[in-house]
Amino acid sequence: MIWAIALALGIVIAAGTYLALSRDLLRCLIGLVLLGNGINLLLFTSGRLSSSLPPVIGADEMVLGVAANPLPQALVLTAIVISFALLCFSLVLALRIIQLAGSDDLTRLRAAEPTSQDAVKPALEEES
Amino acid sequence: MNYESCDNRRGEVLGRLLPALIPAALLTLLLAALAIEPLPWRLSWTWIPSLGVDLSLYVDGLSAQFLLLIVGIGTMVFVYGSAYLAENSRRNRVFGLLVLFMAAMIGAVVSDHLLVLFVFWELTSLLSFLLIGIDHEQEEGRRSALQALLVTGSGGLCLLAGIILLGQIGGSYSLQTLIERAPLFLEDVRLNAALALIFVGAFSKSAQFPFHFWLPNAMAAPTPVSAYLHSATMVKLGIYLLARLDAAFSELLFWEYSLVSIGTVTAVLAAIQTVRERDLKRILAWSTVATLGTLTMLVGLPGNGAALAVAALFFAHALYKAPLFFVAGNLDHGTGTRAIDKLTGMRRYMPWTAAIALLAALSMAGLPLTFGFIAKGAIALAKEQAEALLLVSYAAVLVNGVSVAVAAIAAIHVFWGRDRSPLQAGLHPHEAPLAMLLPPLLLVILGLLFGLAPTMIDPLLGAAAHAMAPGFDQTMVTLSYDFLAVLEAMAGALVLGGVILLGWRRLGLLMDRFRHLEIVGPEAWYWRSLVLLPRLAARQTRLLQHGQLPRYVMTLVSVATLLVLALLLVARPGWAWPELHSLTAPVAGAALLIAAGALVAMFVRDRLVLLLVSGLVGYGSAVLFLFTGAPDLAFTQFAVETVFVVVVAAVLLRLRRTPLALGAVPTAARLRPLALAVATAFGASLTALVLLVAGLPFDNSLAVFFSEQSVPAAHGRNVVNLILVDFRAVDTLGEIAVLFFALLAVLPLFKRFGGGA
Repeated sequence: MIWAIALALGIVIAAGTYLALSRDLLRCLIGLVLLGNGINLLLFTSGRLSSSLPPVIGADEMVLGVAANPLPQALVLTAIVISFALLCFSLVLALRIIQLAGSDDLTRLRAAEPTSQDAVKPALEEES
Repeated sequence: MNYESCDNRRGEVLGRLLPALIPAALLTLLLAALAIEPLPWRLSWTWIPSLGVDLSLYVDGLSAQFLLLIVGIGTMVFVYGSAYLAENSRRNRVFGLLVLFMAAMIGAVVSDHLLVLFVFWELTSLLSFLLIGIDHEQEEGRRSALQALLVTGSGGLCLLAGIILLGQIGGSYSLQTLIERAPLFLEDVRLNAALALIFVGAFSKSAQFPFHFWLPNAMAAPTPVSAYLHSATMVKLGIYLLARLDAAFSELLFWEYSLVSIGTVTAVLAAIQTVRERDLKRILAWSTVATLGTLTMLVGLPGNGAALAVAALFFAHALYKAPLFFVAGNLDHGTGTRAIDKLTGMRRYMPWTAAIALLAALSMAGLPLTFGFIAKGAIALAKEQAEALLLVSYAAVLVNGVSVAVAAIAAIHVFWGRDRSPLQAGLHPHEAPLAMLLPPLLLVILGLLFGLAPTMIDPLLGAAAHAMAPGFDQTMVTLSYDFLAVLEAMAGALVLGGVILLGWRRLGLLMDRFRHLEIVGPEAWYWRSLVLLPRLAARQTRLLQHGQLPRYVMTLVSVATLLVLALLLVARPGWAWPELHSLTAPVAGAALLIAAGALVAMFVRDRLVLLLVSGLVGYGSAVLFLFTGAPDLAFTQFAVETVFVVVVAAVLLRLRRTPLALGAVPTAARLRPLALAVATAFGASLTALVLLVAGLPFDNSLAVFFSEQSVPAAHGRNVVNLILVDFRAVDTLGEIAVLFFALLAVLPLFKRFGGGA
């Protein structure tokens, strides 16, 4: 079981990285989504796949019996929600950037670090 | 009316003399203290106990000698400056900086703690920068000031490193403790490195090769400043530190060889450079560099005689070089030029200055009955005792010859040379005022006095030599002057000096033919590095900060992959691959769904399809969670994935309406082999990491804690939920806030979209 999940998360992370390396801003963001999914899986499996029973204490018991590890689940739950918030915000940001700059090519979005022939001090590119 | 203006003028002169009261008072205090309290003086109080820095003062013979020079020459400089700078609009600033400089110098020579000494040392560098560049409207002044600061400042950094290393080796930053403990760590392999760093600091400060070039350029400063900082005191600070440490390290061969060789090379180079100069002040500056080289060489020489020679030359140099600088200042003041080609026969216009120059020059040339002669005697004896190399002796003859020639230029050529009617050259020479004659006169008279009766100064020289060489017998000072040996050496130097004087112009022209050799000299490298360093910094910045996001990501991912791989390689032997457990059908299906979604997403061109395919990964994860005991995760993932697809779809719809000036990237979906390789390596390394981690023993204590505390402490039964809303409730609250703010940003997307529809 661990082999199947490990392979799947490896593929997801590879695909996410590949997309994140793209010049296209939107593909880059989708890459981040995949990376987030892959890392969640990694976090989840590092807590061991001990049981397929949910970690809920029985009605007449005081401690957890045989069940899955609750700690990684809590961590991944937090991670899912936070990465959702992060990506929603990034998407709106990306949309705004694309509308302002008129381009979704990452190699062209460089107002902060402009190219220049001047070796010492890069000049700012003209506002478009 | 007349009486009143005269009275006013006298008041003005006295007013200008006011700053001189500070060094004069200090001088009186010092002399009184020296008379009353026997050396050494100790004072100590805790300053920064957490860093082990004590403000401890230690004044022995060497420090006392320096103190005398600092406040004594300081008094003369202040008096001289009161008249020399009378018309200078920046007079007040010069005196303010000079007072600060004097305080820093005093601090440097009395502090026993090396780090405290370093702070004062750097302060003198900074004040030297401000004083050289005092005429900041002149480009030359600015360049020279910056050069002095950069050279001595970077030397200072090396010194700091050397001090820290020495402190680590010796276990203390106190100079006295280090000198006491030195025999215990002379064998330490790190000691040579520490000493080499300290050498760089001391050499840059004291203008030793290859850092010597800044000193002649520092002559851009006003003459009193040059006489004070760049001849009498600050440039000797490096020698002072070396002399201080001499008591500890004089037995090291590295110590002796480095100091003797660098000192000799500096002295010879400076002597040769002297002949090229036509500006009297620069000539004096180069001869100062030569003397500093001789001092360094003497510090390096072993033996008690060398210690006495250092002490004697310190004094003698201050007593003749400062007056000569004042003479140069008087000439500048009286004629407006310092070029030796224009200045001849000046004795008719400036008789007092001529007398001073002559007396100082006699001492500089080392003729008998002057203090210079006493110093030369001590040096000759020191070399004899130390069995110095013949090469060093030959070098000394050359250096002495040049210094005789310099003395002759300053006294004979300028004042007694054939009068080529300077009035025709446009000069209107006149004698300097009293305040510019008295200080140098006093100094040369002192020099004569000590030359005639050296026993007067013997106690101080003895005490200074004792500080450098603890084995020095202070009762033997008088016996150390060997007159015959000096006379022998002097004869050679006098002849050579005469030849150099006669051929000065021709020698200079000859030397100028080798001018192109300068491109390999240290100063050329200084200018080159000033150009190259910023260029290198720009190149490096361009390399690292290229502004290309994909390349930044590439760097990050590559480094992360290498780190994970290194971790796997290091820890691999203790690990084992997990066994192939039986695979349940739902998990296999989920894994397939995830993998297929990810693989297709890599190569899909259309964005909408990309979105849907990437959604498969999320839904696959949710299915996986559902069948591995995490239903809460599964439901959250389903919900989040669905909402996210809606948000992305909204963004895509808006984008479709946005005209793109530069268009979408046409090559976006094309295969990129490098990116693919990097991505595959990253994914594979993380897969390996997960597989190996699964084989490790698992620390279950946290899970046990939550399982035991859930019912009694948190009163609930769903452990995952309890962790989030009870055990980590505040965290979850913060998370909700993050989500809320993110949704605030997303909200307009739908509002306007809805309004438009």
